[in-house]
Amino acid sequence: MSDMTTLTPDQPILVRDNYLTHSRGLLSWLLTLDHKRIGLMYLVSVLGAFFMGGVFALLVRTQLLTPEGTIMEQDQYNQAFTLHGAIMVFLVIIPSVPASLGNFILPIMLGAKDVAFPRLNLFSYYLWVIGAIFFVLALFTGGLDTGWTFYTPYSTDTNSAMGGVIPALTAVFILGFASIFTGMNFMVTIHRLRPPGMTWFRMPLFLWSIYATAVIQVLATPVLGITLLLLIIERAFGIGIFNPALGGDPVLYQHFFWFYSHPAVYIMILPAMGIISELISVHSHRHIFGYKFIAWSSVAIAVFSFLVWGHHMFTSGQSALVTVIFSAITFSVAIPSAVKVFNWLATMYKGHISWNTPMLYAMGFLFIFTIGGLTGLHLGTLATDVHLHDTYFVVAHFHYVMMGSALLAFIGGIHHWWPKMTGRMYNENAGRVAWFLVFVGFNVTFMSQFMLGSQGMPRRYATYEGLEQELFQFYHVISTMGSYVMAIGFLMTAVYLLLSLFNGRRAPTNPWGGRSLEWQCASPPPHDNFSEQPAVGDCYDFTVLEWSEKEQGYVWRSDVARPEPQSSEGGD
Amino acid sequence: MTAFVTYMLMTLLGTVMPGAAEDATARTFWMPESASAQAPFVDHVFDFINVICYIFLVLITIILVYFAIRYRQKKNEVNFSGDGPVHSTPLELTWTMVPMLLVVAIFYLGMVGYLDLRRSPANAYEVSVTAQKWTWSFDHPEFAVNQGGEVYVPLGRPVEFLMTSADVLHSLFIPAFRVKQDVVPGRYSRLWFEPTKPGTYQLYCTEYCGRDHSKMLALVHVLPEDEFQAAMGKLATEYMDLPEHDLPTYALDRLYNRCSSCHSLDGNMVVGPSFKGLWERTTSGETAFTNGQKLSDLVGPGKEFETPEDYIRDSIVNPQHLIVQNYAGAMPSFQGQLKERQITALILMMKYLDRLVDENGNPIESPDLNELDAGDGSGSPAEEAGSETGTGQSKDNGE
Repeated sequence: MSDMTTLTPDQPILVRDNYLTHSRGLLSWLLTLDHKRIGLMYLVSVLGAFFMGGVFALLVRTQLLTPEGTIMEQDQYNQAFTLHGAIMVFLVIIPSVPASLGNFILPIMLGAKDVAFPRLNLFSYYLWVIGAIFFVLALFTGGLDTGWTFYTPYSTDTNSAMGGVIPALTAVFILGFASIFTGMNFMVTIHRLRPPGMTWFRMPLFLWSIYATAVIQVLATPVLGITLLLLIIERAFGIGIFNPALGGDPVLYQHFFWFYSHPAVYIMILPAMGIISELISVHSHRHIFGYKFIAWSSVAIAVFSFLVWGHHMFTSGQSALVTVIFSAITFSVAIPSAVKVFNWLATMYKGHISWNTPMLYAMGFLFIFTIGGLTGLHLGTLATDVHLHDTYFVVAHFHYVMMGSALLAFIGGIHHWWPKMTGRMYNENAGRVAWFLVFVGFNVTFMSQFMLGSQGMPRRYATYEGLEQELFQFYHVISTMGSYVMAIGFLMTAVYLLLSLFNGRRAPTNPWGGRSLEWQCASPPPHDNFSEQPAVGDCYDFTVLEWSEKEQGYVWRSDVARPEPQSSEGGD
Repeated sequence: MTAFVTYMLMTLLGTVMPGAAEDATARTFWMPESASAQAPFVDHVFDFINVICYIFLVLITIILVYFAIRYRQKKNEVNFSGDGPVHSTPLELTWTMVPMLLVVAIFYLGMVGYLDLRRSPANAYEVSVTAQKWTWSFDHPEFAVNQGGEVYVPLGRPVEFLMTSADVLHSLFIPAFRVKQDVVPGRYSRLWFEPTKPGTYQLYCTEYCGRDHSKMLALVHVLPEDEFQAAMGKLATEYMDLPEHDLPTYALDRLYNRCSSCHSLDGNMVVGPSFKGLWERTTSGETAFTNGQKLSDLVGPGKEFETPEDYIRDSIVNPQHLIVQNYAGAMPSFQGQLKERQITALILMMKYLDRLVDENGNPIESPDLNELDAGDGSGSPAEEAGSETGTGQSKDNGE
């Protein structure tokens, strides 16, 4: 029984007692302190929110089929795009990777039994739920039409913005705490619970990126919380902070807001980059190229992310000098991102690349993130940003980064760790087809929006009647068609993943040939993850693994000695 | 084949729009028509960045696809040899340094163009712009003329917009000129351009400002100097010279576009009350206000408003004074933006609206307005006030 949870060549996986079956009943889930169950609850909740956000996205795209709008009044459209943005940012992308996959995988990657603070972990999940409830409340208290950015004075003026502003701000405030607690938990876990032998530079790169993310979460989110609190005070009590009619400064709000929300962009993309580092190396069966460059680039991105918020405000009226400085710093973020892309490409060189769904998502990520990153150049450049700011070019750019990169990496990560989480294999061919639909649909949807934007189409427009409506409609129709294809791809993904729970092949311990510790623990993992401290090796050295027909997965090569578990404390 | 490839490349590089005639200022695949002195530089920077993007995207995609095919794992039964380096400092420094040099170059170009966009020449023709939900108002101090929903600017002269907002954030964007600047309540912002091509260009609001954000559009007419002078002269005086029975048509054609986002002509309740039947509701005195008062208690000799016209005038220059029940009171003041005779024209338009537009609010061609006095016969209040001077110095006889 003792060796059940470590990877051995011959032993069949007989573990019946796993985290899913460990205890039964609704309460055993609702009150669980098990990071795996909390991660799974987060995953289900986040995907539910993703469905909601997706429905709003389709409404928005359908509305824009004709210049005068097809299905919604102006007010309804304004709510649809606001809710699409707010849900996708605050309820989906920010918690997606860290809170769901991170929660599940991080302690197992560390060979730990759980995160450092399991109760805090559960508390942060319930904060997410309460936040989501407040969002729903915003819908029933007059609606929300401010855009996800809540720009003042529109949002604080009770005459203009709809009544749901305060519930929505409360929701974001609470979600902020969920995010801070998750970040804190992960930081402490990585510092304190690494196993003997796992030094910082032996950690899987996923952990580096989660760590960098956690730093941003803990340092930046409080600023958002305070800002939103000030906004609530202004709106509820008429105390002038941001509204010039009350003696406030609306541009100050933008500084506060982006001081959080720019780093938040990296809260979204950094974990995705971590996933990609895992997917590309594992599915190429090839040691990651330039480990330290990738690790340090995550840290560099986290640091730079705090210094570039002003690039959202090039046309806001801030001084020319400040604008030039922010532009200069903004370009520095391009470098670590470029370094990562080249390192991932180099990882594939002379690899053994299996074309299964997670790897397809990873390769799709490389293409999409390259476009998302490169079009950032047009926007960081001052002369061109003046023209492109607040047009569909920006919409296309951040969807390439936030959706095509961050969210599709998340979906790729779900596929990668699906066998571990559920103990079942999904249908690989269905996965490939769905990926193809999503990939093509995504590019059709958003590629056309680059042209739409550079030709002058402003964002957040419910209608686009005017001199340019013919050209705009041409691109809008293409974009909408793409979004339908993408939606079909996502629905198909939902169907085959759910079906796999019932009729999927039982997952082996190590279906892909990964070497980080989660692939040494049974699928699905037992309640305590590991019955004894697993041995830590080089988590990107795949030469020690071989395919086992019997296991239908990868096992330790019989002719290679396994590393001895180290008894010393892990070096910091 | 070669011709096709060349054509595709030229399209992507932004030199031609598919199917367009050769013209340096014409719309390209990426950029709209180029009609200002700053536009060509912006476009060059854009094209320069594009070239870099194409090179990197093509390079990365080819490598990606080549590796994916060349190193594809055919079956699972492979012992991984661990070929290839896991680290190479020279290589990694190369792909750190090369992008760094490129972005420094891009940053520099962008900064040069930006400083140019921000520094307006001293002799610029100035227009004061007021943005308010959901219209644009353009004041020409030099001619004492105010335009709404459209603006005339002279060709070949630098033009500077001095902008402020009456309510929330807006942003003024003219794609053909490649200029954009937020319009912020409580402060002034500036934007300048030098039109180089006569024509009509679309102006957008690009900062979300509420319900009709997407309808907050305006047109910029670039006119050669002599035409510009003539047009401004006409705007400055045309309503002065118009006989009274032409004023309703003038109001409908030239002034109503500032009201249209909130006040319909077909009876639809939008943001404010529809103009259809407004005069009837006003004269009958049935209109009730949010403070509980009724219009009939306020209008009449010796009361707050002598005549119904006085009430409507007050609603235009001081809209927050009395707010009609069931409305939010979102209207900004038009004091100073409309001359008294223009207000008169608007009141006449409301009075005779049923002769100007049909059931659905569509303008009737050549409406019959020869006998304006068929109604109640009262004169227009502003006429009597005599405050119209035609020089823009109109005083407000505050009541």
